[in-house]
Amino acid sequence: MTNAAEVWLAGLASTMGGQQVTAEPSTCAALATGGIAPHCVAYPTTPESVAAALRFASESGLAVIPCRNATKLPIGNPPRRYDIALSVKELNQVWRYEPNDLTVSVEPGMKLGDFQHFLARHQLWIPLDPPGGDRASLGGIVAANASGPYRARYGAPRDMVLGLSIATTEGKIIKTGGRVVKNVAGYDLTKLFVGSFGTLGVIVDINLKLFPAPACRSTWAFHAAALNGTQMFRRKLLRSPLNPLRAVLMDEGGRRLAGAPWSQGSDTFDIWIEFGGSERVIRRSIAAAIELARSVGLEPREIADDEARPGWQRITECNPPPNASGSHEVLLKAALPIDGVEEFLAHARSETGRARVPLACFAQLGTGIVRVFLLPEPPFENLFTLVERLRGAVVGKGGSLVVERWPIEMGPGVDSWGPMGDDFRVMRELKNVWDPHGALSPGRYVGGL
Amino acid sequence: MSVEPGGILPSQKARVVDSLQRLLGRDHVLYQPEDLMLYEYDGLSTHGTPDAVVFPLSTEDVVEIVRLAARERIPIVARGAGTGLSGGAVAAVGGIVVGFSRMNKILAIDLENQRARVQPGVVNADLSLAVAAEGYYYAPDPSSQKACTLGGNVAENSGGPHTLAYGVTTNHVLGLEVVLPDASVVHTGGSCWDRPGYDLTGLMVGSEGTLGIVTEITVRLCRKPEMVQTLLAVFDSVADATRTVAAITARGITPSALEMMDGFTLRAVEEATHAGYPMDSAAVLLIEVEGIEEAATEDAAQIEAVCGENLAREVRRARTSAERELLWRGRKNAFGALGRISPSYYVQDGVIPRTRLPEMMEFIASMESKYGLRIGNIFHAGDGNLHPLLMYDSRNPEQSRRVVQAAGEIITRCVELGGSITGEHGVGLEKNELMPVLFSENDLAMMRTIKSVFNPDGMLNPGKVLPTGKMCGELRVSAGAGGPGDERR
Repeated sequence: MTNAAEVWLAGLASTMGGQQVTAEPSTCAALATGGIAPHCVAYPTTPESVAAALRFASESGLAVIPCRNATKLPIGNPPRRYDIALSVKELNQVWRYEPNDLTVSVEPGMKLGDFQHFLARHQLWIPLDPPGGDRASLGGIVAANASGPYRARYGAPRDMVLGLSIATTEGKIIKTGGRVVKNVAGYDLTKLFVGSFGTLGVIVDINLKLFPAPACRSTWAFHAAALNGTQMFRRKLLRSPLNPLRAVLMDEGGRRLAGAPWSQGSDTFDIWIEFGGSERVIRRSIAAAIELARSVGLEPREIADDEARPGWQRITECNPPPNASGSHEVLLKAALPIDGVEEFLAHARSETGRARVPLACFAQLGTGIVRVFLLPEPPFENLFTLVERLRGAVVGKGGSLVVERWPIEMGPGVDSWGPMGDDFRVMRELKNVWDPHGALSPGRYVGGL
Repeated sequence: MSVEPGGILPSQKARVVDSLQRLLGRDHVLYQPEDLMLYEYDGLSTHGTPDAVVFPLSTEDVVEIVRLAARERIPIVARGAGTGLSGGAVAAVGGIVVGFSRMNKILAIDLENQRARVQPGVVNADLSLAVAAEGYYYAPDPSSQKACTLGGNVAENSGGPHTLAYGVTTNHVLGLEVVLPDASVVHTGGSCWDRPGYDLTGLMVGSEGTLGIVTEITVRLCRKPEMVQTLLAVFDSVADATRTVAAITARGITPSALEMMDGFTLRAVEEATHAGYPMDSAAVLLIEVEGIEEAATEDAAQIEAVCGENLAREVRRARTSAERELLWRGRKNAFGALGRISPSYYVQDGVIPRTRLPEMMEFIASMESKYGLRIGNIFHAGDGNLHPLLMYDSRNPEQSRRVVQAAGEIITRCVELGGSITGEHGVGLEKNELMPVLFSENDLAMMRTIKSVFNPDGMLNPGKVLPTGKMCGELRVSAGAGGPGDERR
């Protein structure tokens, strides 16, 4: 460690009022991103100390990446600089919990799994199944606007966050939105922070809308011999009055990741649907879905609860698959028109087939969001071109493709975010206003912000 | 430093009008005083006279208007149908009003992708009508939906009775085309979810025309439910009705709408619309649940039980769609119905956590006696969004003053209970001086910074949203002739 680093480390520790700052190498290494580890990890215990740390960093020309369990750290380009990992681990309390108002305030370090467990006492929940699953922190989920297949029915964090408290690089704490479910007072700054990946400020408090949990659940798989069958089924399902909790189309690679090995055939597909509600509602929904499926030649099969639960976990968490054969893994998130998922799947399969890269796909029905795992083995020579070609196909349909994971051993990756539009100059100006010294996750976000 | 602009200088006016006429044609530029009078107001009574009103046909027209206004340093105010209730479409300091009545085309409907692309002048209900035969609709449904435009909805982030389950405008808008004050055109969001980058669409929605002028909107369309059950629960006490609201939520039911009207209001509504509301009750709840048949009927049965437990005198279910329509017509025409019984009224828009409804109703009743006013209550009770209607005679300045005071106390109380100064009507001209009640100086400074990024010279819709510092923590409504919510407008 250089003398200069020792000096600012002491400064940071005293700014934060003696709260824990560690430069212990293995702790720092665990929060590396893009092959770069921070010089230290800070664990503020109050919103005020987050603000103080940010102000110190900004004034000292240091770079900060906010984090908790590192589930979002792989997303984004390698940072230009990375001095401090600001862990919100210690900010993990629930407060102002109003079950009858269906609202709550919660700190960003609370993990999704713990939060759901807390809410379950009152048969409430937050309908989010983002990558990272139970381990993901609410702060990270909100900062990434991260969602999974529940999105089609319930929306994204963008739709559930009522207000935020944000620590700024000026060392202030500002409040956006409010605590009530309807509020149009002033500019909706909440929207600006949700999905901004910690590049404008650090979330220190989150006001959320809550939902009644479904009384019962039931998962069914619908097996199709080809994509035109799944497409017909999807169109019929989306036009039907059925409103499942979630529905995902997967290829055989996806099936393997999900641990659902019973379906046969390498060019076949499965759609998993989870229904929720009262027993009567579920019975009727299943009967209707089976009828739709049979009308287009899909074969239904009930998934037992003890298989469904871990299956959905594997589908939604997007954890790296067990690394048995020395393969690596790239995770892509494509956002397409709802009606474009099958065409994209076919395209992705043919491109990856040509490049001899195994893949696994999970396509959400009803949102057009597809997560694609590429599982290449060394050498990784054509990978860059492959991802750019897939991105070209998505962007050509008006969508976007984000590289959510690109192992550093594979060398420099493609730009995580893809091309920006004509509104990028406004984004750059906003970033300059909120973070004039580039203290927050510099270089990680869109267009090098 | 942003300058609060004024209107057109007399020496400028002929030149500006001439340029506008050459750009848009003579028929699409209004500048004579008698023509401009029609555009002095929106649904709030505070007025401002524009120097010219223009009607562009395309984004290119809007760009040219903005370019001209920037060159001449004239403020611009975008305007939809003028149904807004907070003065958002009023030219507070004069300038050019851009009316969108000619940009009223539905540009594309794509049902397989559940999207529509529209111009800002499309009337809210017309979009739902255009896709109704296919079983789709556009969910946000402000009471003025037969007149109000989607551009205005985007500017105000409008709500409506059915936003309880489906969210407000911002939850249904995916992309925008926006003309910025420097006459550049930017496209935010898109037709797919999750475009990487800051959510400028979300920031633009609800910015009340102060950050840019929206010229195209991409929205999400929803599938109509299989079954809708509409219930009318009748109560002999307001307290029982408000308790029922929280009890329904506590039962784990999310109705698609949960509206409340007090006895005073519903009697006025009944006399005007003959919707079948009981004339002698203290309050009614209008509750809607929907979904597949099994879900809607189960929820309806549960709600009937909850209402019974909370001493509802009677719970009726609409048996036909005609009956349902009638119940809703009463609710949606309620403001107009009250106009029949009072020379003027002032609609407030506040929000509280829904469990605080019982005590808030008591507080509003205490305002009635404190200020000697009649206050009708009509609420989006399910999401705690209150619309107290303060009755008065705008020709009586003393009464007008009391109305403003009572409304101010009600709004302040909403904030004290953990709520907001506006749930769906917007801040506009009416409440910008109240913003410090809700937000700290730091919060407001950030909003000013945002404004300075988009609208550095303050030429877009000046005097709205943010406090000007000229008044202190007060509602701004005109007292005296043409007072708040004056029905002669």
